[in-house]
Amino acid sequence: MTTRFRLALDSITRVRGVHGALLVAGDDGLIIAEALMEKVNGKAVAALAASLAKRLRRSMEACKAGAPHFMHLQAQDGTLVVVPAPDGVLVVTVGDARMNVGLVRLEMLRAAEALA
Amino acid sequence: MRTTRAVEGWTLVPLERFIMESGARLALLMTPAGQVLAQHGFTRAVDVMSAAALGAAIVSSTGEIAKMMDEPEFRALNHQGVEHGIFLAGFETLRGRLLALVVYGTDSSMGLVELFFQTLKAELVAACPVEERREPVLAADFEHELNASLGSLFGR
Amino acid sequence: MSLVNFTTREITCKIVYYGPGRSGKTTNLQYIYGRVPEGRRGRMVSLATKTDRTLFFDFLPLELGQISGFTTRFQLYTVPGQVYYNATRKLVLQGADGVVFVADSQARQLDENIESLQNLQINLLDNGMDVRDLPVVYQYNKQDLPQDLILSKRELDDALNFRQRPSFQADALSGSGVFETLKGVSELVLRRLSEVSTA
Repeated sequence: MTTRFRLALDSITRVRGVHGALLVAGDDGLIIAEALMEKVNGKAVAALAASLAKRLRRSMEACKAGAPHFMHLQAQDGTLVVVPAPDGVLVVTVGDARMNVGLVRLEMLRAAEALA
Repeated sequence: MRTTRAVEGWTLVPLERFIMESGARLALLMTPAGQVLAQHGFTRAVDVMSAAALGAAIVSSTGEIAKMMDEPEFRALNHQGVEHGIFLAGFETLRGRLLALVVYGTDSSMGLVELFFQTLKAELVAACPVEERREPVLAADFEHELNASLGSLFGR
Repeated sequence: MSLVNFTTREITCKIVYYGPGRSGKTTNLQYIYGRVPEGRRGRMVSLATKTDRTLFFDFLPLELGQISGFTTRFQLYTVPGQVYYNATRKLVLQGADGVVFVADSQARQLDENIESLQNLQINLLDNGMDVRDLPVVYQYNKQDLPQDLILSKRELDDALNFRQRPSFQADALSGSGVFETLKGVSELVLRRLSEVSTA
């Protein structure tokens, strides 16, 4: 993993409650870089989050709302956050239900900017 | 109209589930010789056979390249187009090696297909029955019908 | 092994046209393709070089029709004849239900025919198949050439067909013998499906 990618992900995974962060090729749903706890199935998260992001983007565009900047899914036991970065890359973060989403969002947007 | 069909019944449910989950458009399960066991999405049987022949050829030829590289096998092969991608992979069952050829569009992705292919593979390996002794398929006097079929095929 | 679907009552068989380079394997398939109605055949796939020499294989799927209540389909393949494409020939032979050995009847091509036949046996063995168990027919092609240039059916049978398999004279360019050859191999391949077998 290149230093640039590692730094981008490290700043996200330092936030309390984060179980992992990934850079995903949005079109392919494949992992570009990852920093994950062992229990996280990175391949599945990457493929499904990319698929979800693609559908959400289409939904938003159908609503004439433009492309989404930030996607946040909250479940009883966890959180999934996706931020589109340049060149079709997605920054994806998984964490527990109490993860500080505000702080994670900030770090993910920074990471996305750093990838530009 | 149901577009998933199986020559071997045990392949049908896993394949249908795979199609639903991965969002693939076309899929074939076949032997390494290009004989189709199950298919999804194709309309003409002859098109299925062509796709299977070409898919099996890709796997065979890249398998030879793998051997030259001292690589046991390529786990999967992906060909990425603008509107469609092709995923090809092989796996072992009690009936021997099988191949999957999957065509997906922009509504799916390589990652999704790869992800759900793992499930498909596991389900097929678990469902695969041991081969049975076969009874005669054709009647002993099939020649008359064969001659008539070939005659009509060649306009004779 | 032919693929049999008892539910939808379909049979699919793989037949490989084998033989030395320029013996007329592709011409056989082209003739069949040209004669068979569009609804009963698929597109002919030819993986060939720019000079039309077969690089990987030619492929033609055919719908024979109903035989003993089964919709019967044949997959016709050719192999590249040139010596240096042996790996490809071996791959195409995988899972063959029957072989048509297309020999070039020209006397000066006899050594190439013998070499190709030996190569067939080696490649079958490498694929775990025994030529003695496999339906094989011979086609002696280019029988339209002047008699002083070619060997007779009897001479070619003596040189190549020592197991006394069915053999056919042909001129694949005009189509003579192509139908008879396909019929011959079809009978042998389907005969096996009328017998009890272990799959």
